[in-house]
Amino acid sequence: MSAEARPVGGRILTPFFYALLALTAVMGALVLYRLFAGVGSITALTDGYSWGIWKPINVVTFTGIGAGAYAVGLLTYILNNGKYHPLVRPAVLVGALGYTLGGTSVIVDLGRWWGSVFLGFPPWYNLNSILLEVALCVITYMAVLWVEVLPAGLERLIEDGTPGWKAFATKWLPRVRKMLPFIIALAMLLPTMHQSSLGGLYMMAPTKEHALWFTGWLPFLFLVSCLTMGYGSVVAMDVLLGVVFRGKYRTHMKLLGDLAKVAGWVTLFYVAFRFAALGWEGRLGYAFQMSGPVPFFWLEIVLFLVSGLMYLAPSVRQNRGRLFLAGFVGILAGAAYRVDTYLTAYDPGPGWHYFPSIGEVVVTLGLASVGLAVFILVVKTLPILALGPGTDEKFDPSRPTH
Amino acid sequence: MTVSRRTVLKTLAVTGAAGAAAGLATPAEASHEAVKLAPDAMGLLYDSTLCIGCQTCTVACQRANGMPVDKSLQEVNGAPYDFPTDINGSNKTVIKLYREGDKYAFMKMQCMQCVDPACTKACMLGSLHKVENGIVAWDPIRCTGCRYCQISCPFNVPKFQWLSAVPRIIKCELCRQRVDGGKGSACAEVCPRSAVITGKSVDLLAIAKKRIAENPAKYYAEVGEDGKKVPKIYGEHDGGGTQTMYLAPAGVSFEKLGLPKLENVPPAQMAMSVQHTLYKGFIAPVVLYVAAAWAIVRNLRKDAAEEKAHQKEGK
Repeated sequence: MSAEARPVGGRILTPFFYALLALTAVMGALVLYRLFAGVGSITALTDGYSWGIWKPINVVTFTGIGAGAYAVGLLTYILNNGKYHPLVRPAVLVGALGYTLGGTSVIVDLGRWWGSVFLGFPPWYNLNSILLEVALCVITYMAVLWVEVLPAGLERLIEDGTPGWKAFATKWLPRVRKMLPFIIALAMLLPTMHQSSLGGLYMMAPTKEHALWFTGWLPFLFLVSCLTMGYGSVVAMDVLLGVVFRGKYRTHMKLLGDLAKVAGWVTLFYVAFRFAALGWEGRLGYAFQMSGPVPFFWLEIVLFLVSGLMYLAPSVRQNRGRLFLAGFVGILAGAAYRVDTYLTAYDPGPGWHYFPSIGEVVVTLGLASVGLAVFILVVKTLPILALGPGTDEKFDPSRPTH
Repeated sequence: MTVSRRTVLKTLAVTGAAGAAAGLATPAEASHEAVKLAPDAMGLLYDSTLCIGCQTCTVACQRANGMPVDKSLQEVNGAPYDFPTDINGSNKTVIKLYREGDKYAFMKMQCMQCVDPACTKACMLGSLHKVENGIVAWDPIRCTGCRYCQISCPFNVPKFQWLSAVPRIIKCELCRQRVDGGKGSACAEVCPRSAVITGKSVDLLAIAKKRIAENPAKYYAEVGEDGKKVPKIYGEHDGGGTQTMYLAPAGVSFEKLGLPKLENVPPAQMAMSVQHTLYKGFIAPVVLYVAAAWAIVRNLRKDAAEEKAHQKEGK
C-alpha cells in the first residue's frame, strides 16, 4: 500500500538532468520567438495540414502514455485488485506530467492562446464541439491528477517538514484522503470521455480521413488504445525504474506478469475489434489496396499483435528485458495508431504536403525533457515509489545504490 | 498465477459495455436533424461558363475587406508583385484555371456558406457561427486559433495567418459589413460578365435552373443511374446544401474544378449523431460517475476491513 512509498533520494543535478534542462531551455527560446513571430515561424504547418506532430504526439501520445493511471486505476479501484496499488502512484505522476505537457503544447500551438480564458465562460460553450469536450475534460483531469499526487507531498511534509508545515500537512492529509474516492471516480470518468473524444475529433473529416481509419468507432478504438498504451507505459516504466534505481527499487515482476495478461487480452481484443468493425462497415477491402497510408495500417496491426502476443507468453512475463520490450512495443502500437489517424491517414487534398520542422521536433523533445526532469525530481524527493520491503521480491540492501 | 481469468474477463466486459454504449450511437443519420435552407439565406452563384478570369473580383474583395498585401507570388520577372495564387491568410477569393488539352474553364474559390456547416460544429466557443442571412461569420474574441475549423471544412476554406502574433481566421463572409449598406458582395458588384452574382440562395437556385433550362447543352450534366444525363448545380444538395452554388461548363466536372465529391448530407452529420447520442442529456457521464464512485467507496471499505482483520490476526 501507499505507506510503503518512499523518496528515492540521491543527487538531483546529474549530468543527465543538466542535459534535460538544456533541451528545455532551447525549447523555451523557440516558444518565446513563436509568441512574437506566429505559429508558422517555427513550424511547417500549412492551411492544409493545420495540425502537425504536436497534436498527435505531444497531446494524443503523451496522454496515451499518461493513461497508465487510468488503465491501472480501473483494475485497482473499479475491479478491486488492490494488489496493483504499488503501481498506481508512479502511474498517476506520469499521468499528471503527460497531461500537463499535452496542455502546455496546446497553449503553444493555439494561434490566439489568450482566447482560451473563455473556456471558463460556459455561456459561450458550443455543445456541438468535440474539441470543446476534449479541452474541458483534459483541463479538469489535469487538476484531478495533481490532487491525486497531493498526498505524496503531504506525507513528505509530515515526515520532514518544519513544525508549521507538519501541522498543516497533518491537518490536511486526512481531509484529502477522505475526498479521494470521489476524486478517483472523476479520474475514471474523465479519461473515458476525452480519450474517446480524441478519436471522435476525426469523425468530423469524412472526406479527408482514409477509409481504413474513418469510422463511427473512432471514439471506442481510441478508448481501447489508451488502455493498451497505459498498460504498456506502466509495464515498461516499472522495469525501467528497477534498472535506473538499481538496489533501491525492485521491479514488481509478479504484479507486472499479472498485469501483462490483462494487457495482452485487451490488446488482442483491440485488433479483433478493429477488423470486425472494418468488416461490419464493409471497408476491409481497403486494407488490401497497398497504396497511400495502407502499409501503415498493417504496421499498426503488427505492432499491436506483437505486443499482445508477447504479453501472453509466459517466457516473456518472467523476463524483465522481454517484458519491457512488450510494454514498449505496446506504447509504439498505440502511438502509431494515433499518429496515423491524425497525420498519415489524413489527406486534405492535392497540393498539400507536410513534414515536421526542426522547431516542431525540438519543442516535442523539449516537452518530453521537462516531463522526464520533473519525474526524476519528484520521485527522488517525494514518496512515490514503493521501495524496499513490501515488493514481491526480497529487498537486498547490500546491492549498490545509484 | 493469480490473475485471474476473472480480471481479464471483467476488463473485457467493462470495455465491451462501453463499446455497446458507443454502438447505440453508430446507426447514424437518425438523431441529428437536418438543417433546411432558410428563405433569407444568402450566397453567391458562380457560372464558370461566363467567367473570363479577369480577377477583378479578387482585387475588389481584397479592397472591400482591407486585406494585407499577398506575398505568395513574391517576384515576377524580378519585380515585386502583389497577387495571390490561392485563398489564404490575406485573400478570401481567387480565380483558378482548369486546363485539359485546349479545353479550359475558370473556377472561383471562396467560402461556400454551407447550409449546415461543419466549421460551426467544430468551433469550441462558437467563434464561427451563423449570423443573419445565414452567413457564416468569424468572431475574433471567441477564437482560440485552434484551427479545428480547417480540419473539419471539406472545402479547405478557413485560412489562418501563420506568421502573425495575433492571427485571424480568414474566410469569405459575403462582405457582410457591406450588406447593411445595401451594396452586397464586392466580387459580384464588380464582375464585368456577371459570372458571379449575389442574392438569396432560393433566388440564385431558380436563376441557375433557368439558365440550364434555356441552354442545357452548355452546362455540365452528370450521368444518372438510369444512364440519362442530369444537369447538376453544385451546392443544391452537396454536403447537405451550400448557399453559394456553382455552374460548370459541359464536359468539365466539378471535381476537376476542385470541388470535393460530397454526399448529400452535412459532412459533420455522422460525428454529431455519434457524439450527441453518447452525451445525450449528459446522462451517460453522470451514471458512469455515480457507478464509479459507488464501486470505489465499496472497494476501499472492503480493503480497510480486510486490513483491520489482518492486523488483529497479526497481534
